[in-house]
Amino acid sequence: MTILNGITLALSKGRIFEETLPLLAAAGITPTDNPETSRKLIIGTNRPDVRLVIVRATDTPTYVQYGAADMGIAGKDVLLEHGGAGLYQPLDLNIAKCRLCVAAPKDFDYAAAVKRGARIRVATKYVNAAREHFAAKGVHVDLIKLYGSMELAPLVGLADAIVDLVSTGGTLKANNLVEVEDIMPISSRLVVNQASLKLKRELIQPVLEAFAGAVKK
Amino acid sequence: MLRWVLPEYIQDALPAEAAKLEDLRRRLLDDFRLNGYQLVAPPLLEYLESLLTGAGQDLQLKTLKLVDQLSGRLMGVRADITPQVARIDAHLLNRKGVARLCYCGSVAHAVPSSLTATREPLQLGAELYGHAGIEADAEVIRLLAEALQTAGVGTSRIDLGHVGIFKALAQTAGLLPQKEEALFDCLQSKDLPGLRELLVEAPEGVRAALLALPTLYGGVDVLARAREVLPRQPEIVAALDDLQELASRLAGLPISFDLADLRGYHYHSGVVFAAYGGNSPVALALGGRYDSVGRAFGRGRPATGFSLDLRELAAQVPDPVAAGAILAPAGGEAGLSATIAALRAGGENVMIELPGHEGTWREAGCDRRLVLRGGAWQVEPLQGE
Repeated sequence: MTILNGITLALSKGRIFEETLPLLAAAGITPTDNPETSRKLIIGTNRPDVRLVIVRATDTPTYVQYGAADMGIAGKDVLLEHGGAGLYQPLDLNIAKCRLCVAAPKDFDYAAAVKRGARIRVATKYVNAAREHFAAKGVHVDLIKLYGSMELAPLVGLADAIVDLVSTGGTLKANNLVEVEDIMPISSRLVVNQASLKLKRELIQPVLEAFAGAVKK
Repeated sequence: MLRWVLPEYIQDALPAEAAKLEDLRRRLLDDFRLNGYQLVAPPLLEYLESLLTGAGQDLQLKTLKLVDQLSGRLMGVRADITPQVARIDAHLLNRKGVARLCYCGSVAHAVPSSLTATREPLQLGAELYGHAGIEADAEVIRLLAEALQTAGVGTSRIDLGHVGIFKALAQTAGLLPQKEEALFDCLQSKDLPGLRELLVEAPEGVRAALLALPTLYGGVDVLARAREVLPRQPEIVAALDDLQELASRLAGLPISFDLADLRGYHYHSGVVFAAYGGNSPVALALGGRYDSVGRAFGRGRPATGFSLDLRELAAQVPDPVAAGAILAPAGGEAGLSATIAALRAGGENVMIELPGHEGTWREAGCDRRLVLRGGAWQVEPLQGE
């Protein structure tokens, strides 16, 4: 369970952690370790009542939902797959930005493949978001859940297209894929456990406001 | 398949937990009784239509269904006792004045309501029918606070809201039902970015008000802030007045506000509240006013009340200190029987020793034993086990 008289913030290593540091600084919080070099999973801060836990990005909403962390920072993509039930997500932090897209091989006629009532085979890590996207278009979709290297799937005939996050488009290009449809822009959100916001409002609210003030427009 | 494996989210209550649940159930129901609430016990199964009357889609999905082999009709295992109690008040008791009812029983949830929830909650609650005034809301909230205290939940907070505010705003905005649903979801999760996206085309006044709603939570100062930022529609002013009045009536209780908390919005009609406490990541108790639910049973009556899952509550309170049992030798000797009867009459737990089980009585809960000393039976500490 959470530390009784303080707050626990769940973060993932890498881009989210790096881009959260300025926000933490705005709230007067400095981590005592760097998760890239330290193997610690619980990291203290300059404030005795604030600690960080380092989790896998897809696990952040789960930690917060169970109350194992009071707050967390999670990509919109992760929240879409998780469903976000029982969480407050009051703030778009405008960090770790990218896009959720459909991509297909250059020679694939995507427009013809997604005519109303058609059927398409799609490989993705984001099955919920993909299912919803194609349902809204009125296209039947066979989803293949993969955990990585999505770009390979259309090249070896596993799928017609992929739904994946794209930030620079470099990987797509290197594998002869093109972005054929934009689904939505993605950035990271602050998520807060509902009971924590009620019971620890005095601690959480100032952090929330400091983050809000430091978000890049 | 192992025969002793239970389905997911279904569990036994073993002796320690069962004792705790029963202790809590008795103390809370006693507390309700002393406050004038009469116990009712509706059935575990009912025809589906009666169970789902006036309730939202959530309850429909949560209800386990089966076919009644006597009538061929669809039955449901109750997922919520509140509509059953509303049916009892509306149709069976048919009292003119106030009816105060309470209940405690198992309900089944086809899908668990949260990651930490059980699919077989032990629902305990109290409902007050027949009074539309704020006195009734204040009474049930006070009763809930008292129940949490009786149970021994440490830090706790009761959060008040009012569905009238969102209803008035949604009506002014003239939203399509589909969009209203999405809006409701965003408010529920305080998803401000999502709200902004949804409200791009909404008229400016309503837009600002709906965007302000998720930020209107906290202490009593929230009400003053709400009066500044929300439009002066009569329904909204009345709702804020109600909350202000409640705040003054409930002075001394750990009250806070959240004007975007819309749980149960589909059947609630006025003041709503949620209690948080202990280490629980979700609300411990939910309640509020639901004036129109009885109408489906032939008699719309003002109604308010709350309910909680006793299992969840039990997990948040310290274990009761149970006195150990006294081990008494077997044998029907008159003096021994009289001593045992006297001890039991005094509330002691006396266990009769059966032959051939030496060394196992401490595990069974005994910490003392009856020994014959100089012709009299005496209670002594249980030694040597």
